[in-house]
Amino acid sequence: MTTIITKTITKVCIPLVILFSISLLLAGHNNPGGGFIGGVMFASVIALMYVVFGLKYVKTFFDPDWAKWFGFGLMLASLTAFAAMFFGHNFFRSAVEFVHLPLFGEIELVSAGLFDIGVYFVVIGSLLFIFKNVGDDNE
Amino acid sequence: MDSFNAITAAIFLPFIFAGLIPVMEKILKQRVGWFAAATALTSFILIGLAAPEVLGDGHIVQGSISWIPSAGVNFAIYADGLAMMIGFIASGIGVLIMSYSNGYMSQKEDLKRYYQYLLLFMGSMIGMVFSANTIQLFIFWELTSITSFMLIGYWRHKPESIYGATKSLLITAAGGLAMLAGFLLLRTITGSFDLATIMSDPQVINAIKEHELFLITLILILIGAAAKSAQGPFYIWLPNAMEAPTPVSAFLHSATMVKAGIYLVARIHPIFSGTDAWFILVSGIGIITMLVAGFLAFRQTDIKGILAYSTISQLAYIMTMYGYTTHHEPGIGVAAATFHLLNHATFKACLFLVAGIVAHEAATRDIRKLGGLRREMPITFIVASIAALSMAGVPPLNGFLSKEMFYESSLEMGALLGGGFTFLIPACAVLGGVFTFAYSIKLIDGIFLGERSKEHLPEHIHEPPLTMLIPPAFLALLVILFGLVPSLPIHTIIEPTVSGILLETAHLHVKLWHGFTTSLMMTIATFILGILIYTRYDRIAAWQDKFNARFPWISVNYYYDNAVDSAKEKAFKFSTITQPGNIKYYMTAMLLLMIALVAIPVIILATNIVPSTLNFSIAPYEAILLLLLIVAALAAAVLPKYLPAIIALSALGYGVSLLFIYLKAPDLALTQILVETLSTIIFLLAITKIPQKYKEIIPKSVLFRDLAISLAVAASVFVVLLNATQGIMAPFESLSHYFIENSLPLAGGHNIVNVIIVDFRGYDTLGEISVLCLAALGVYNLIHSRGEEQ
Repeated sequence: MTTIITKTITKVCIPLVILFSISLLLAGHNNPGGGFIGGVMFASVIALMYVVFGLKYVKTFFDPDWAKWFGFGLMLASLTAFAAMFFGHNFFRSAVEFVHLPLFGEIELVSAGLFDIGVYFVVIGSLLFIFKNVGDDNE
Repeated sequence: MDSFNAITAAIFLPFIFAGLIPVMEKILKQRVGWFAAATALTSFILIGLAAPEVLGDGHIVQGSISWIPSAGVNFAIYADGLAMMIGFIASGIGVLIMSYSNGYMSQKEDLKRYYQYLLLFMGSMIGMVFSANTIQLFIFWELTSITSFMLIGYWRHKPESIYGATKSLLITAAGGLAMLAGFLLLRTITGSFDLATIMSDPQVINAIKEHELFLITLILILIGAAAKSAQGPFYIWLPNAMEAPTPVSAFLHSATMVKAGIYLVARIHPIFSGTDAWFILVSGIGIITMLVAGFLAFRQTDIKGILAYSTISQLAYIMTMYGYTTHHEPGIGVAAATFHLLNHATFKACLFLVAGIVAHEAATRDIRKLGGLRREMPITFIVASIAALSMAGVPPLNGFLSKEMFYESSLEMGALLGGGFTFLIPACAVLGGVFTFAYSIKLIDGIFLGERSKEHLPEHIHEPPLTMLIPPAFLALLVILFGLVPSLPIHTIIEPTVSGILLETAHLHVKLWHGFTTSLMMTIATFILGILIYTRYDRIAAWQDKFNARFPWISVNYYYDNAVDSAKEKAFKFSTITQPGNIKYYMTAMLLLMIALVAIPVIILATNIVPSTLNFSIAPYEAILLLLLIVAALAAAVLPKYLPAIIALSALGYGVSLLFIYLKAPDLALTQILVETLSTIIFLLAITKIPQKYKEIIPKSVLFRDLAISLAVAASVFVVLLNATQGIMAPFESLSHYFIENSLPLAGGHNIVNVIIVDFRGYDTLGEISVLCLAALGVYNLIHSRGEEQ
């Protein structure tokens, strides 16, 4: 599988796919996308990198602790859920706010967006954590 | 500070300060016990702040803080004389115990944990007695069970400790659950969780007594009380609880926690007493326990064993007295019981502390090895004798007074019942007293009198340090004081307590000397019989040993051990049936369940299994796509090698996502593509490890069965899908309208799918991502634990 062609294409794809996954995450509220899909996309491109270049080689220059990623995501998501209680609302009550910025025009700030980012990190972290552990075992 | 705030502070202060113990331990080192004692003292003083109002003026301090208002659960305080008395005992004895522990506990012990548990226990106990709300009472009640469990199992390396701790938790916590069921029934009858509300209304109390659920409610609550106070068949946990450090036994298993059951009986006395059921259950359990435990106590060789059984029997006295009621005269024994409750706390805690001293100095608690310590430990000897004689009921000590009152109320109760009871009830009381007298004497004789054994004891035994001597000495002083000047405790605390229980003002007159009464004759008879029995001690012991060896199944422990020992085995058998481990069985079960829950109802609901209004027109690209899907699915099932099979499966997945795109569901299509990609990669990773060709031989019968199940599932899914658009869901409308209308105004999003995931059903999503995290951790553990085994 690890021909020159796959390696080159993977190298070119990685940043593009990551950017696309982030755009999917941010677009999710109004267009197809969202934290889950964005997260899976991110995870699959990293998984592709692991497969193409080999886990050992990748580890020499890129070895994040994926457990921290899903830990962070879960914390962010639950804090978003709890945040409403500090303002005297029910658990999980969401808030929407529209802000006008000079260059970007109208921007929508949604508390559910933060929750979605939490989901994004949980999906990436847990999938890659599993992937790395299963892959490690194989070598 | 107003009384409500003071009591609330007294409850929560120990909890807060328990959290500070690790910090204080860094500063105070081994003296951290004094910090704990100071906390207990603060709670004592805080309760004391409410004393003038409650004990002096006779008011009842009440107040509540909203907690779960929709369920009628509040944090509610009800401080009457009864609550005050137990509150004072819990915090006051707490001060003595925690001071004493400074001398008792070795410096090498984990002191942080010890004092934290003690403070948590004390807070729970105080919280329990001041609870007006039954749910709050239950929570604090179970907290005392849990802290007691931790304290009994404090020495984690000792299997006996673990056995004792588990036993006490299983029995007392289970009793607590029965009690909770009783409280829920009480709520069903009265509509309230608030004891104060129930007690203040005579009509409600009458309604309870006439209600059909009365008996079962009473029994359930009494099971809780009996389990906690080691009454009836539930007594077996207390002797094993003696594995705890001795100060813990003194605190929990004699002075405070075991009194929780008694407290509960006293607390519900106004609600349930005055009925036949009350007398039969409470006094009946009490009398039987009193006699059995008294007899068993007599036979023990461990000092703490004697004290454990004697505690059971003394608690049974109190229980019996609280049960003395008739329809016309409820509450005959209440004053005597309450007084004995206080007296028992003083002399029994003192005796436990002495047992701790003896074990500490002589390095054994076996009464057969002890003896003759009066010369080396004269002060301990005097202190112990005072407490033991008080327990035996010898004048002029406080135990004498309350025992006289016990005899008096037994006589009165017997006379009221008439017939055989006139003699039976006083006779049982005397017999209980005889056993008590005998084992009290046994304690003093066994430890301090007679000849000193040289082979078992260390050469030099001396008095303990003052930290260990002052607490029991103080308790012994109280024993004498309450005996000589009974009006002191009677007027300050007993009368308000009795008023609290009987709900009417009580006036008591207790004197040391009140002439040659029948009860005095009974006391004298008790002493004579007690001495007689004591001299026959060896013969009774030998007979009892023979009896136990011959009939092991008569003891309650036999059944407890049987039930607990075989529990593991039974659980294993159960789980091999419900969780056989092979995925084949789970799949079968799930599929069959699906047929039963979905397909069968649909087939019943739909009049025609194949609806007549089906639309068979199909676009050519759809037909081609579906054909491809079918081919891929068949290939995945039939191909003999893993790699081609997985590729076929992926092709199926991508085909389905293509279908989603045609059906205008971009979110689903995207998700499907991504998940398919990732799972294919993971599959490919996994199959490199396993043989490429599987040659599992499947018997024909299994093959036939699996095929039958598959066909049934396929057929039923087919029927369900055919009917899905045909209005079989008639009464229910699709939810989609709601989401289409509300996703923008309520959640500010145009993408309904995503809005549902993160907003309308965010709770679900939070659960799902938690599961995802757990799964990741599970995979990690699975892989790494396998590595360790290799």
